[in-house]
Amino acid sequence: MENEFLKNRFHVTRRHFLGKMSLGLGSVALGSLLIPDLLKSGEDGVPQLTGLPHFAPKAKRVIYLFQNGAPSQLESFDYKPLLNKMTGEELPASIRMGQRLTGMTSGQAKFPLVGSHFSFKQYGQSGAWVSELFPHTAKIVDEICFIKTMHTEAINHDPALTFMQSGAQQGNRPSMGSWVSYGLGSENKNLPAFCVLLSRGRGNGQGVYSKLWSNGFLDSVHQGVQFSSSEERVLYLQDPAGRDREGTRKMLDHLAQLNAINYKEFGDPEIETKVQQYEMAYRMQTAVPELSDLTHEPDNIIKMYGADCLSPGTYASNCLLARKLSESGVRFVQLYHQGWDQHDNMVGDMPLQAQDVDRATAALIMDLKQRGLLEETLVIWGGEFGRTNYCQGNLRKNNYGRDHHPRNYTIWMAGGGVRPGIVYGQTDDFGYNIVKDPVHVNDFHATILHLLGLNHEQLTFKHLGRRYRLTDVAGKVVHDLLA
Amino acid sequence: MNTINRVVFNVIFCIQILLVFLVFVEERIQLPAWLQVVGRLHPLVLHLPIGFLIFLAIVAILQRQFIGDSARHILHIGLLVTSLSASVAALFGFFLSLQDDYGRDALMLHKMSGVVVSWFCYALLLWHHNQGKMKLFYGFGALTLVTLIVAGHTGAVLTHGQNFVLAPMFSPPVLTVDNASVYEFAVQPILDRKCFSCHNETRAKGGLVMSSVDKFKEGGKHGKAWVEGKPEESRMIKAFYLPLSHDEHMPPDGKPQLTPVEVSTIEAWIKSGADFEKKLNQFADGDSLKFIVAAFVASRADAEAPIVEKQYNFNPASFDVVAELNTPFRSVFPLYQNSPAIQADFFLKDNFQAKSLEELKSVANQLVVLNLSKMPVTDKDLEVISSFRNVEILNLNFTRVQGSGLSHLARLENLQSLSLAGTSVKSNDLEAILKLPKLREIFIWNSQVTDEQRDALAKKYPEVEIIGNLFSDSKVLTLGKPRLENDGVIRKGELITLKHSMPGVTIRISKDSSDPDSVSSEVYKEPFAINESTVLKARACKDGWYCSDILEVTCFVEGIAPAQVELLSPADPQYPGKGAPGLTDLQKGFADIFKEPSWLGYRSQPFSAAFDFETRMSLKEIVISYGKNIGGFIFPPDEVEIWAGDDKKNLKLVKKVKSKLPTGYTPNGVEALPIALDANTSYQYYRIVAKPVAKLPEWHDKKGEKGWFFVDEIFFY
Repeated sequence: MENEFLKNRFHVTRRHFLGKMSLGLGSVALGSLLIPDLLKSGEDGVPQLTGLPHFAPKAKRVIYLFQNGAPSQLESFDYKPLLNKMTGEELPASIRMGQRLTGMTSGQAKFPLVGSHFSFKQYGQSGAWVSELFPHTAKIVDEICFIKTMHTEAINHDPALTFMQSGAQQGNRPSMGSWVSYGLGSENKNLPAFCVLLSRGRGNGQGVYSKLWSNGFLDSVHQGVQFSSSEERVLYLQDPAGRDREGTRKMLDHLAQLNAINYKEFGDPEIETKVQQYEMAYRMQTAVPELSDLTHEPDNIIKMYGADCLSPGTYASNCLLARKLSESGVRFVQLYHQGWDQHDNMVGDMPLQAQDVDRATAALIMDLKQRGLLEETLVIWGGEFGRTNYCQGNLRKNNYGRDHHPRNYTIWMAGGGVRPGIVYGQTDDFGYNIVKDPVHVNDFHATILHLLGLNHEQLTFKHLGRRYRLTDVAGKVVHDLLA
Repeated sequence: MNTINRVVFNVIFCIQILLVFLVFVEERIQLPAWLQVVGRLHPLVLHLPIGFLIFLAIVAILQRQFIGDSARHILHIGLLVTSLSASVAALFGFFLSLQDDYGRDALMLHKMSGVVVSWFCYALLLWHHNQGKMKLFYGFGALTLVTLIVAGHTGAVLTHGQNFVLAPMFSPPVLTVDNASVYEFAVQPILDRKCFSCHNETRAKGGLVMSSVDKFKEGGKHGKAWVEGKPEESRMIKAFYLPLSHDEHMPPDGKPQLTPVEVSTIEAWIKSGADFEKKLNQFADGDSLKFIVAAFVASRADAEAPIVEKQYNFNPASFDVVAELNTPFRSVFPLYQNSPAIQADFFLKDNFQAKSLEELKSVANQLVVLNLSKMPVTDKDLEVISSFRNVEILNLNFTRVQGSGLSHLARLENLQSLSLAGTSVKSNDLEAILKLPKLREIFIWNSQVTDEQRDALAKKYPEVEIIGNLFSDSKVLTLGKPRLENDGVIRKGELITLKHSMPGVTIRISKDSSDPDSVSSEVYKEPFAINESTVLKARACKDGWYCSDILEVTCFVEGIAPAQVELLSPADPQYPGKGAPGLTDLQKGFADIFKEPSWLGYRSQPFSAAFDFETRMSLKEIVISYGKNIGGFIFPPDEVEIWAGDDKKNLKLVKKVKSKLPTGYTPNGVEALPIALDANTSYQYYRIVAKPVAKLPEWHDKKGEKGWFFVDEIFFY
C-alpha cells in the first residue's frame, strides 16, 4: 500500500515540479529578505568585529586597577564626620531601610556606627576629601574624577566581582576586557589585547578567579592573558635550547598547514583560535622582552613608583608594567590587588594596603601624563562594593572592622576623556545611602564603552538565541562624567 | 449611454462656470459648515484625476495594442471621468482654501494651477469628443500633465512645507551649546519637529507663523502666543496643557505630541523672558532654564540626536590602500567607523625602517594621529612627517629626534598635541613649534629642557600647556630586599646566589647571624659555597637610597645521607608525609603549607626515627629542619635526644638538647635546629627523638593546648 502512495508521489509532471519549485524558491527568497540571518551557515557571528569604534573615541586604552576585596570608602575617599560623632550608637532603621545583611553579620545583635580612625583633608580644585592613608593620590586629585555613588546588588565577593567584570552576577559571560578586545582588537598585533597582572597585599585577601578575565561565550582569542608574578613575566618565551627563530618559524608554518587541513574537515573555530595564538606567541617573543626589562627605566621613574616597582609580583611593579604595556598598545590592562577585605583589623590592615598602592597609583597617572598618554588612556581604580558604616564584630577602642555594603561605594577614573577634578554623586551623612546621582554597575560599563567610542547597545554578540552585551539589558551613559 | 454623456458634460460645464464665478467673488463668500466639510474632502478627491490622467496617457501611448476602436472608447470614458473628478476636486479645493489660513503666494499658485488643470481636462474632453486634430490633442494632453505636476507640487508644499522630499539628504548645521542661542539650540528644534509643519510661512494655522522669529513674536489670529515671564498665562502653553481631545490642544491629536521635557523647556524659556538671542552661559547659574536645557541636552543625546562628530574637509582614503598599509609592525586604521581621519601606530623598533614612514605618504592627507613612540626616528624623518598636513596628534616619545628637525614640523598647521618625552630636544628647538596656531599641549619630560627653561617657555606661550617633569620628591626611599635564587636544599657543589632587581645595588651579607650593615659587612660579589646549614642574612644598599630590610633565610646544605631510615613512631595520621624516606629525600617543605608530602607532623607522641649508616660514621652536627607557625600551634621541638651506638638494640644517649621556645608571635618559617655533637661521636646507628611542645606557653591565644612538631628533613654533617 505504501508503495502505491510513494509511486504516486513520484509521478510528478514537469509543469507540476517547476511550479512547486518556484514557489519554494520564492518563499526562501522572501524569507531571506525578512530574516537576514536565514541563509547564514549557522556560526554565531564573526569572532572579531570589524574593529572600528562607532564614533570618535576619547580613550584608546584602559588600565583598570582593581582593588580586590572591596576597599573601605569610609577610610579612603568618603568623609563622614557624623559617624565619628555617633561612634557606638546603633544604626537607625530609617537609614538602614531593610538592607540585607551578609551571613557574617546576620547574627550580630547590635550594629554600632563607627567613624574613620583616619583623618581626612580636602585637596585640589574640587575640594575632594582624601584620607591621610592616600597622600600621593591626594596630590593628583585634580586629574581624578571621583564617583562616590556607585551601587550594586551583589553583597558577596564572587557575585560582585563577576558583576563588575562581566555585567551580570552569574558567571559564563565575557569580561569587560574581552568585550573591548572583541570590539576594538589590539592596537599592537604583537601583544595580546587584554592582559591581567596580579598582586597580593598584606591585608585579608579574597580570591581572584580566572573566570573574571574569561572570554565567556566570545571566541577564546579574547581571553585575558595573565602574566606571571615571577621575574619571567611570560614563561617559556625563549626558544628552547637548540632551536632558533628560523626553526620556530618553519615549525609554526608547517603546524599551521596541518591545522588548516583539520579545520577544513571539522570546522571547529577553536582551531583557528589556536593558530592565531601560536602566531601571537611568536610575535610576543620579540615584543615582551622589550617590555619586561625594567632595568633600563630611568632613575626618577623608579623613584616615582617606589623601590618595589622592580620586584616582580608587587603592585608597584605591576603598575610600571601596565604603563609599559599600555604604551605599547595593549588595549586593556587589568591589575588585581588583593587584601582589601577588612572585616576585622581595619586600623592595622588598611594602612598596609594603602601603602602598597598609593604611591604607585599616583606614579602611574603622572607617568602617563608626562608622556602625553593620559588623554588617551582611561585609568580606573576601585573595588567591587563598599563597606558598612557599622562595625562588624567587637567595636574596640582602637580597632574595628566593616562588613560588605553594596548600596554605595567609591571608585575613581582619570584620563581618557573623563572630566578631571570633579567629585560626582553624593551619599548621605551616614555614608549608607545615595542622595544624588547614583551610578549603577551597568551605567559604569556603558560610560566606559562610550569613552572608548563604542555604543554599549550596539556591541552585541548572539548566543543561545539572543543578543548579549556587556551592559545586558540596562545601563545608561553618564554624560556628566565626560569631559 | 448618451443621456449619461450629456448629463455629465453639462455638469462639468456648470462646475467650470461656477469655478470662474468663485474666482471673482471669493472674498465675499462665507461658507456654511457643511460646505466646509465638503471642502475638506479635497485631499481625498484630488487623487482621482491624477490617477485617471496618467492612465489615459498610457492608453494613448499604447493605442495600437488595443483591438479596433476600443482605445477611443476608453479614452472617451476616461476623459469624462477625469474631467468630472478634476472639476469636483478644484471645487472642493476652493472651499478648502476659504477655511484655513494658507500663505497667500503658495496658495495662489496652487489654486490657479489646479483650476487650469480642470479646464484643460474639460478642453481635452471636448477636443476628443469632437474629433479634432489628434496631434494637437496629444500636445495639449502633455501640457495638462505638466500643469498637473505643478499643481501637485505646490499642493504638497502647502501640506508638508518646502524641501520635504530632499530633507533627509541635507543635515542641518550642527548647533552646540556654545555657538547658538538657547532658543536656537534647545527651543527651536522642538518647534521644528512638532509645530513648524502647520505653522510656517506657507501654511499658518490660526494665523500663527512660528518659523520666522518676527512673525512668531507677532502672534496669530488670537493674539500673541506667549506672555514674557509668565508661562501660565501664555496661550501656547495653555494649548499644550489642554486635554488631548480638546480642539485647541496643541499639537493636534494624531500628530506627534510634546514630551514633558520639551514642554518644560519651552516653559522655562518663556519664564526667562522668551529671549531669542541669549546664549546658555549668559543665564544666571540658578536659572531653571539652565538645568532643563542641560537635562534636555542629555536626554536628546541619549535618545535622538547623533553624537556631534568633528567634521573633516578631506576625502577618505580608499579601503584597499589602508588595508595594504597594515603590517604586524604598523597599524593603520580610521579613528572610528566611516571616519576619513586615520591613525598610524608603529611597534617593535627593530623592524622600523625609514621607508616604513615614507609608505604612509599614500594616506598623507588623511593622517590625523601618528604614533612613533620608541621608534628610531631621526630629525631627517621629520621632513617626511611635515608632508602630512592634517596631523593633529604626534607622538615622538623616546625617538632619536635631537631637535634640529623640529623646524620641519612648523609646517603642520593643524598640529594640536606633540609629545617629545625622552628625546634630547633643547629649549630653543621648541620655539618654532610653539608658535603653531592650533597647538595646545607639548610634552617634554626627560628631555634636555630644564625646569627653568620650561617655566620661561610657559610664560612666553601661555596658550600652550607645556608639561615637563611632574614628579619632584626628594624624599629618600628604602630599597627592596635582595632575593635568594637557590631553591630548596643546597646540593653539594651548588653555590649560593643572591640577586637584586635594581641595577647598581651592593648586597651586604653575614653568615654568622649578625645583622649586616652598609659599611663593615662582607660584600656579596659572586655566588659562594657553604658547607653546612647556615642562617644567611643579606641586605641591599645603594647611594641615594636607604638600605633595605634584612633578608633572613636558612640555607640547608646537603649532608651525609644515611643508608637506611626507619620511623619508630608513626606520624599523626593527618600529616604522614612520605614516611621515613621523606626525612632524607632533600625535598623541603613550605612554611605556609603543612598538609603536604614533605612534612611529617607529630602531636600526641614524640617523633622518633632510626638512621643506619652501614659503617661507622663520624658526625659533627645534626640539623633538624622544622616548621614554625605559631598561630597554627606549630612550634620548634621542646626537647631533642640523640641516641647512638654500634648495636641497633643497644644505643646510648649522646646528646640532649632543650630548645629555646619563641616568646611571641613571629612570622612563619622553616628553621634549622642545629645540634652539635661531641668530638668523637662515631657510630653506625643513630636515633633521634624529638618531643613536641606539651603545653602551649602562657602568651599564646590557646595556652595550655598541645603543640605540634613538624619535620621535613634531617641533615647529618
